[in-house]
Amino acid sequence: MKETLTCLVLFLAALNTSFAQDPGMPDSEDIPSNLMTFFVTSEPIGDGGNLGGLEGADAHCQSLAAAVDNDDRTWRAYLSTQARSGQAAVNARDRIGEGPWYHSKAKILDYLQRRLNRPLIQSEIHGDTLAEAQRGSNMTKEFALTEHGELVNGIGDPLPVRHDILTGSQPDGRAFTDGEDRTCNNWTSNSEGSVQVGHSDRVGNGNMSWNSSHATTGCSQEELVSWGGVGLFYCFAID
Amino acid sequence: MTKTRIFIFPFLLAATASSLALAQHGMEGGTPMTFFVTSKPIGDGGNLGGLVGADGHCQALAENVSADGRTWHAYLSTQARPGTFAVNARDRIGTGPWYNFDGVTIARDVAHLHGDTIELARLGNNLTKRTGLTEKGQIVPGLNDYKNSEVAARAAAGARGNEFEYTVSTPYSNRHEVLTGSQLDGRAYPPDLDYTCDNWTNNQDPDPEQNGGRMGAFANKPNVQIGFPDRNGGGNGSWNSSHGTRGCSQMALAMTHGVGMYYCFAIN
Repeated sequence: MKETLTCLVLFLAALNTSFAQDPGMPDSEDIPSNLMTFFVTSEPIGDGGNLGGLEGADAHCQSLAAAVDNDDRTWRAYLSTQARSGQAAVNARDRIGEGPWYHSKAKILDYLQRRLNRPLIQSEIHGDTLAEAQRGSNMTKEFALTEHGELVNGIGDPLPVRHDILTGSQPDGRAFTDGEDRTCNNWTSNSEGSVQVGHSDRVGNGNMSWNSSHATTGCSQEELVSWGGVGLFYCFAID
Repeated sequence: MTKTRIFIFPFLLAATASSLALAQHGMEGGTPMTFFVTSKPIGDGGNLGGLVGADGHCQALAENVSADGRTWHAYLSTQARPGTFAVNARDRIGTGPWYNFDGVTIARDVAHLHGDTIELARLGNNLTKRTGLTEKGQIVPGLNDYKNSEVAARAAAGARGNEFEYTVSTPYSNRHEVLTGSQLDGRAYPPDLDYTCDNWTNNQDPDPEQNGGRMGAFANKPNVQIGFPDRNGGGNGSWNSSHGTRGCSQMALAMTHGVGMYYCFAIN
């Protein structure tokens, strides 16, 4: 009985630290790691909220990834679009595959000889259960690196702050349904409108949201800058 | 005119808030500090002298820097024992809102602090590395801070026989594991396994034969649940319930990057 219990405890402990797909260890400490399936765009497209729709945004992810590695993954921008007449909404969370997702730096052995960096897990980053939402995910400033392995400037770093990350999404990763523009007109406006952003450093606006902290008051590049961002977004590999 | 007023009002609010935030603690008109992370531990591992001892430490640290006569409680739970009910950390800290050294709001109320609804939990509270300050206004050094320091170098070399000496003698060593003994919702754990170093009275390590080196709660193993004021660690960044420890000695706390600091809240 005691042994059964011990086994159960060990099993649960193992379950707790293993992931659905174990990708093994990175080949080397090169950046980006060959495991990279997540990054923050190192540069914006630069035309405010006009990303050329989801297609343009995905292409930006794809070309930034292609510039640093040749893994031939398929990349998607973490962006929602809102419903229009004859056109259903698209939820950012449904575009990015199943994960888990790793960032651009090889994991470094920690002092307990563990690989410390937990990857991003779909249900954890979106807080699908109350406990997951309370506990949080490993989406930290140190995890949310660009494809070059660089930190994104946040609050307290040298200006300009670049931590406002375009998502157009609610905290659960789904499109807004309230009728207000939250996506710069589905990523086509560089003037009127508004966009919902998260903070890659998890600091700002009195909350910690990485994907849905606040809305901007416009969609021009200047408006984005005035709120503390430059139009960066998150990219996830779906394979 | 109406429109102007509507536009001015939020700006006034914002201006007031930021001037409050800039006002230093103790300055006349500054927002009074009602939250801090202890700048130093009691230093005897998980033995804090019970809740009474822990509260006394909060009170003493607060009175070192302020004379505004508040009552301070440690954010710690105790587990049920025969004849004694459990105590939930969330029930010990008053009603908020709580402000840090800089006058910045940590959380509006108990529900905001803990994320009692899934909507609140997904957004999170405002306890971050930049706001989770000690009563002296210090940031609590966290993961990968000062990674080129001598501490990191010696740790990497495996020279980890005297971690507590490192942490107490090295100002910027990682000390971000904060004792709570609490679940994510701020409530006590069930009594069967230890999450509170025996209700803050135990400074012992586990029997090395039985549980040596294991992290977390197991039968007959001294353990304490910790959180991270810098929200970075354990793969989740929970401020109050990320993971357990290797034991309850001061050394065991240091082995996983803590020194036995904890949160203090003013209840009035």
